[in-house]
Amino acid sequence: MSLLFDISLFQLTMLMMAPLIIACLGETIIERSGILNVGIEGVVTLGSVTGFLLTYYSGSAIIGCIVAALSGSVLTLLLAYFSVTLRANQIVIGLGIFVLGLGISPTIYRLAVGVVQSIPQVPTLKEIPIPLLGAIPFIGEIFFAQNGLVYMSYFLVAAVSFFLFKTPLGLRLRACGENPRAADTVGIDVARMRYGACAVGGLFLGVAGAYLPLVISGSFTDNIVNGRGWLALMLVIFGRWVPVWSFVGALLFAYVDAFQFKVNALPQFAKIIPPQFLLMLPYVFAMIVLVQVARGAESPRALTRPYDREARD
Amino acid sequence: MAAGVSEKKKVAMEFAVTYAAAGALALACGAVFIVAFGGDVLVALGTVLRSSLGTWGGFAQTLNKFSPLLLASLAVAFGMRGGHFNIGVDGQIYAGAIGMTGTAFALEGMNLPWPVFVPLGLLGGILGGWFWGFIPGILRVRFQVSEIFVTVMLNFVALYLVDYLANGPWNDPLAGEAISLPIPDASVLPQVMPRAGAHAGFIIALVAAVGMYFFMTRTIAGYEIRAVGDNPRAARFGGINVARVTLIIMPTCGALSGLAGAIEVSGFHQSLLLGISGAEGAPNYGAMAILIAVIGRNNPLGVTIAAAVFAVLVSGSDSLQRSIGLPGAAVFVFQAIIVLTVVFVQARRNVRAG
Repeated sequence: MSLLFDISLFQLTMLMMAPLIIACLGETIIERSGILNVGIEGVVTLGSVTGFLLTYYSGSAIIGCIVAALSGSVLTLLLAYFSVTLRANQIVIGLGIFVLGLGISPTIYRLAVGVVQSIPQVPTLKEIPIPLLGAIPFIGEIFFAQNGLVYMSYFLVAAVSFFLFKTPLGLRLRACGENPRAADTVGIDVARMRYGACAVGGLFLGVAGAYLPLVISGSFTDNIVNGRGWLALMLVIFGRWVPVWSFVGALLFAYVDAFQFKVNALPQFAKIIPPQFLLMLPYVFAMIVLVQVARGAESPRALTRPYDREARD
Repeated sequence: MAAGVSEKKKVAMEFAVTYAAAGALALACGAVFIVAFGGDVLVALGTVLRSSLGTWGGFAQTLNKFSPLLLASLAVAFGMRGGHFNIGVDGQIYAGAIGMTGTAFALEGMNLPWPVFVPLGLLGGILGGWFWGFIPGILRVRFQVSEIFVTVMLNFVALYLVDYLANGPWNDPLAGEAISLPIPDASVLPQVMPRAGAHAGFIIALVAAVGMYFFMTRTIAGYEIRAVGDNPRAARFGGINVARVTLIIMPTCGALSGLAGAIEVSGFHQSLLLGISGAEGAPNYGAMAILIAVIGRNNPLGVTIAAAVFAVLVSGSDSLQRSIGLPGAAVFVFQAIIVLTVVFVQARRNVRAG
């Protein structure tokens, strides 16, 4: 029982939470504009390879994150071009981008690194405890003794919430996702908003990708993302397109993930529960949660629907 | 009448141009990769063709890749035709492989002759896949959960299940790695080209493609599936039970992929291991199947042709992996480029036509 409330378990939870929520926020922005990005897993994978390589060669994690963000943005803009300008089926295109990201990432990695004896490593980001706050026992140690990207994820939750619900631009963005015809009538450029949402949301997806090698593993492997992109997509539904609720979901998932990681590290448990069953846990948990939240979840009404100014509807 | 013929010709021309452009772009991209990895484009192309079609051994490997690819792609196409997105082919392949292996071990002591044992094993695989497809089907019908998520999540569950079985209860202690004991000889799918090493899987896959064609065009259930795929609202108003259609589609998708997994075990690996749906770092069948279904426009004939092209690509790029170190996943890039080009041309035509 003490295992469930262990402080290091909560610290690990925050560590695992950050990439989920960052990707989820990016996807929320994109979906609020009326575009569904099922290619998210591929975009995140691209972000992790560009983030890793640039950090490795430049020695600066900041440069790595910036380039990862830009690469995520570029790949998501490809989705925007197909869904906004060409009005193609977003799910088909998203799946194409998913596979493209899955394929191009190991190719870039191999091109840059070549066939080597020892895999290249970058030092993982260090924790920067926040003065005063970080000294609060328990709470402070969990929330305020983390790496910089975790702090950034807190900030982004607040920033995206504020942007979506308290700014005129956020309102316009949501209008494009709910009723693009009405938005167009009052002079909002729906196509530009959707392109913009993809460009900005893509930045988030790229950073979420870079997080994985920079914080968790220190190196790049082909299956580094391992379904986290899909989980982020699910967290958007879990949070009903509201960042704060997605944040709660991300904490929950990260907790389950951190739990299986901790338990698997204990040899006395391996005899009772095979490690593979613990590894399944986050995914099974995701399905159970989906069953609970999917009913009555209302997506932005124009989600996946291309907008044609000239069409009569 | 004459107008009809020329219209048909025009469509056929556009079709040919689309796919030629897609192929050319993918080839150009391939050439860039080959140069980037320090290879010679013409030599590499020669290697690809020789190693996939030019030798009997290579041709046999291409056939062996063709059968799971075709079945997996039919599983995706079948779902998409009815408006369902099956991203869980990998999981269903693993479930089928587990079903096949489990059946083979369970019936091991009965001394069944192969004409009985092999079909029973494959049936075990089909049932395993069927069940793995039934879960997203029932969750969609009962709880309105998107099948996209459930199928993705089930991929990981199946993967770890295979990992557990291959390392745990079914592990071959002499192999020293995550692989099960070999399945009994009588449950091994017969070889069609024994010396080259091609098993009979491709015949089963082709039969499945023909079967899907007739099912879709000649049966009431097939008609209902197409109606739901074209317009679920209209289908519902037309009196079609959409929930029932979902419960036909998803498990059937699973059964087709499960058969692919069973054939991989029974014909190719002859034991259960993790690399069944593409080894680590290599492209997995599930992702490729989605692209093949899109390129083949969810039509059994189109899917069969696209799967054949992809089989050549996969077995050919295996050789590039060995000769110039091109990562296995690079083949995904070519395939994604083909898909994006095809969609690009179609969508542009639609946008222009208004």
